Amino acid sequence: MDRRRFLTTTAGFAAGMVIVPRMASAAEGVIDWYTGSDSNVFDFWANTVKPAFEAANPGITINLVDAGDNAGISAIGERAIAAKQTGTDPQADFFEASDPRLPVGAIEAGIYVNFAQAGLENYSKVNPLAIDSDYSLPYRGSQVLLAFDTSKLAQADAPTTFDALVAWIKANPGQFIYNRPDKGGSGGNFVRRTIHQANGLDPSAFTVDNFTEDFANEALGKAWDILADLAPSLYDGGAYSSGNTQSIQLLSQGVVTMVPVWSDQVLQAIEQGVLPAETGLVQLSDLALSGGFSRALVLDNGANRDAALKLADFILSEEIQSAILTELGGFPGVSWDHVSPDLRERFAAIVPVTIPTFPGGAWEAAINDGWYRNVAPNVDRSQ
Amino acid sequence: MTDSAGPTAQRLLGSGADTGNSRRPVGLLLVAVPVVLMAWLIIWPIISAVLRTVWRADDTGAHRFDLSTYAFFFSDQYSLNNLGITLWTTGMCAALLLMICLPIAIYLRFATGRLAGYVQALAIFPMFVPSIILAFAFIRVLGPNGMVDILLNAVGLPKIDTPYLTPWGPVIGLVWDNIPLTVLILLAGLGAVPNAAIDAARDVGAQKWQVFWYIILPRIGNSILVAISFSVLGIFSAFTLPYVLGPASPEMMGPFMQRTFRDLYDPLNALTQAVITFGFCIVFGLFYVRSVARNQGK
Repeated sequence: MDRRRFLTTTAGFAAGMVIVPRMASAAEGVIDWYTGSDSNVFDFWANTVKPAFEAANPGITINLVDAGDNAGISAIGERAIAAKQTGTDPQADFFEASDPRLPVGAIEAGIYVNFAQAGLENYSKVNPLAIDSDYSLPYRGSQVLLAFDTSKLAQADAPTTFDALVAWIKANPGQFIYNRPDKGGSGGNFVRRTIHQANGLDPSAFTVDNFTEDFANEALGKAWDILADLAPSLYDGGAYSSGNTQSIQLLSQGVVTMVPVWSDQVLQAIEQGVLPAETGLVQLSDLALSGGFSRALVLDNGANRDAALKLADFILSEEIQSAILTELGGFPGVSWDHVSPDLRERFAAIVPVTIPTFPGGAWEAAINDGWYRNVAPNVDRSQ
Repeated sequence: MTDSAGPTAQRLLGSGADTGNSRRPVGLLLVAVPVVLMAWLIIWPIISAVLRTVWRADDTGAHRFDLSTYAFFFSDQYSLNNLGITLWTTGMCAALLLMICLPIAIYLRFATGRLAGYVQALAIFPMFVPSIILAFAFIRVLGPNGMVDILLNAVGLPKIDTPYLTPWGPVIGLVWDNIPLTVLILLAGLGAVPNAAIDAARDVGAQKWQVFWYIILPRIGNSILVAISFSVLGIFSAFTLPYVLGPASPEMMGPFMQRTFRDLYDPLNALTQAVITFGFCIVFGLFYVRSVARNQGK
C-alpha cells in the first residue's frame, strides 16, 4: 500500500503547487528593465551589462524582466500611459528595444524620455544613420542574412539575389524553411524582403504613416503570391518553424540546407558549436534582407528615470559597444569611430553598408494577419 | 474521491448546527475567501468578457447589442478551420488517452510487486516535465533527423514521416503530457471496485472480459467521465505544445487567441474567440459537475 500512499501525497502536492503572483512595487534604486528580444540578448544583459553597470554605479541595481516579445513591451507601454494619466508608478523604467510610436500615442502621452534633450554624455557618438526618433536610443544593430550548410551547397554557388534564391529553393525542394513572421524576426524579415521584392525593391515605399488598408492589400497581396508559390518547395511541402531558434535547430540537424537567420544569433550559434564553424553566410546583394537597430527607450514617468538615463548613457560607452560586437555578435549603435581600432579592423567584413528596414505599427499587424490567412494554409499537405 | 466529499461536508455542516449557531460564521468566513477570489478572478472576468463582446459602442459611441464579431468568427473559414482542428485534436487526444490510460490504471490497480512500482513511476513522470522541455525533447526524438531517424538509419530502414509541424505533433505531445492526471483519476475510481465483487464473479466462472465489462466498467464510468472532462478542458485551450509542435495553419484556439491578441492588436476578436472556446469548455465542465452532483445524490 506504500505505493498508493505515495500516489495520494504526490497528487495532492502537485495540485498544491499554485504559482503565487508577485505583487511588486517599484523599489528605489532598482531599474525595472523589460525586453522583448530573444534569449541571447537577455543573456547578454544578465552576464555583461548588468554586472558592469552595477559595479560602476553602486546602489543601483537592474531588475531584468523578459516581456516575451514586442507586443509584450507594448502592453507594458500601455500600462505606463495609464499610470501617467492617474499619476501612479508604471513600475517600468527601461525598455531594451522598442519603437516609441508604440503603443499608439505614447509620445504624445509623454511617457518616453526625449534623448536629444536628455543631455546624455555619449549621445553625440550615436551613428546618425541609426537615429529614427528623438525618443529612442539606437544601441545595437543586427540584420537578417541567409545561413547555409556548406557541405551541401558551396559558398560560391550560394544565391546572392532574390531571384536566384527563389530559383535555388525551387530547384532544391524541402531544403529551405523560414519561421512564422510574427514568431521571430528572421522569418519576419524574409517575408518583408519578399514584400520589398514585390514592390520594386524600394524600402522607402513603406512608412509607419502611409498604411492604408487598400495600399496594404495591394502591396502585400503581391508578396503573398510569391510566398504561396514558394510554399510547395519549402521543407515538408510548406511547413513553417515556430521561431528563430527552431529554424537554426533544423539547420543544425541537417534537415534543411538554408534558413534566414539573425546575424547576432547565428554568430553566437557558431561560437557555441550549435552550428559548425563551416556554416556559410550570405547576404542578398540586390537588396539586403531587412534588419535594423534595436533602440532603447526610457520611461519619463518611471520611478527611477534618472538611474535609467545613467544606464542609457552607459550602454553607449566603448566598453558595452565593444561587447556588443564581441559577446553579442551585433553591430554597435555608435559610429564606428567610437569602437576600439582593433575591433574595427576585425569586424570590417560585417560592417553593414545599408540596413533596409520595414516599419512596424499597423503594417506589422497587416503582415501577420495576411500571412496566416493567405500563405500558411495555402498548402496541400498529406498527413 | 468525489464520493467522500459530499457526505463529509454534510456531516461537518450538520454537526455545526447541532452544537449551536456560533460556529456557522466561522465556517462561512472560511468559505468566503475562495468564493470571493473565484468571483473576482474567474466569474467576473467571464461575465465581463461576454458583455464586452456583445454590448459594444458603435461609431456614434452609443452602446448597443452587437453580435458582429461572433458572426465574423462563424462566417470566417480561417477561424472555423482553427476551431475544427482544435475539436479534432481534443477528440483524438481523449480517445488515445482512454485507450492508453485505462489498461495502465487497471494494471496498477491489480498488480503487486516491483514492476508495478516502476510502471507507476513511469506513468506519473510526465507530470514533472514542463511542456516546453517536452516539446524540445519531442523535436530531438521524433523530429526530422531525430533519434528515431538515426536509429532507423543505423539498421538500414527509411526515415519516419515525422509528425513535427503537422497536426499529429500536438496530439502526441498532449497525450503524453496528460497521461499522469488521467491515470491518477482512473486509479482513484478503480479503488472503489471491491476485490470481493471481482472474486465473487470469478468464482461463478466469469471470464476476464466479463469481469471488466460487467463488474469494473459500470463502477468506474464516472471516473472515466471525470478523467476525460479534465484532460479535455486542458487540451482544448493548450498553448505551448500546439504552438511549438503544430503547423502554422490551421492552428489550435490557444495559439490563435494569443496571436490575435498580441500580434494583431485585436483584443475584441481575441475575446470573442475566448468566449467561444469557453462555450465549448463549459459543456465538458457540465459533464463533470453533473457526475459529481449525481454521486452526491446517491
